[in-house]
Amino acid sequence: NLHYVFVLASFLLKKYHGGHVVIRLALGGATNRPFYRIVAAYNKRARDSKYIEQLGSYDPLPNTQNEKLVAFNYERIKYWIACGAHTTKPVAKLLGLAGFFPLHPMTVTEAERRQKAALTEEVKTDSQQQVEQKEAL
Amino acid sequence: MLRALSRSPAPVVRLLSPRTAVWVETVRGRKSRTDPKAKSKLGRIKTPPPVDPVEMVVLKERYTEYNLILRALRLEFKEQMLRKKYEEEVGSVAEERTKREEEEHRSLMALNDAENLRMHKIREQRMQKEAEAEELKKREADILRQQELENYIKEKERQILQLQEEAKDFITLDNLDQRIEEALDNPKNYNFAIDKEGRVVKRTAFQR
Repeated sequence: NLHYVFVLASFLLKKYHGGHVVIRLALGGATNRPFYRIVAAYNKRARDSKYIEQLGSYDPLPNTQNEKLVAFNYERIKYWIACGAHTTKPVAKLLGLAGFFPLHPMTVTEAERRQKAALTEEVKTDSQQQVEQKEAL
Repeated sequence: MLRALSRSPAPVVRLLSPRTAVWVETVRGRKSRTDPKAKSKLGRIKTPPPVDPVEMVVLKERYTEYNLILRALRLEFKEQMLRKKYEEEVGSVAEERTKREEEEHRSLMALNDAENLRMHKIREQRMQKEAEAEELKKREADILRQQELENYIKEKERQILQLQEEAKDFITLDNLDQRIEEALDNPKNYNFAIDKEGRVVKRTAFQR
């Protein structure tokens, strides 16, 4: 089977020296209203420029039901990963949250940090309340 | 500082080349090389964010695990893709496809043959009918022609007979004198009047 090698078809006339395919977020939308498309593109291309294929979308602003909508085309993402595409950090995080990848370490660490911060806040407010009670007495 | 006003990356790209990717030099901030440091930032010492060693150790572990899993996933996907391609091109999928296509082809050919047969039969019938109609027409045309010929001949015979009849009254060299005398003896009077209702009036004005 190993003699079946994948050749990335040259969709674009530009031949990139040492370029590679990336799965990343391309920004669109309007002022104060971002909207990202999850896109497979060459690394050297501009962020919003011509891409190879669109693999989904991500809406960063929550909707009326307080949900942030993400879409993935898992079949094609599998294909591109198999062809050797890299993913950027936000895409990796989103995929981790979706369950396709393992959870990104930074997601876990950020969550832990937030929990710790919330705990310290609680402790601080508790201690402040205690101090106020003591002063009142 | 004023020179650098137009040096934000995105608008420049749009001005120079709207959609093609021109790699503009990354320009961060609004200051040029010769602009002095701001007064509020003169004593600033930039420090990186503090790193918690415990957290760092845990993070490093998590990262190694994460990378391992990702690498495994990548290779897994690659293998799946290769297998699928192999199957499609060489293996079972291709065989099934050829079989299906063959069956389709055979059924279509059968349909085609049936259709051709049917059309052939219909055409045969049509041709037969047309041949019969043509024969009929030809016979009728023959009959008509025959009749025309007969009518013509009859007409000509009638004319001949009529001429023969008239020939008896012809004036020939023999009758010439006789007929002249006859004509002079019987003067004919064409002097009459006729009106629209067809009433003939033979009485004329008093002739001298």
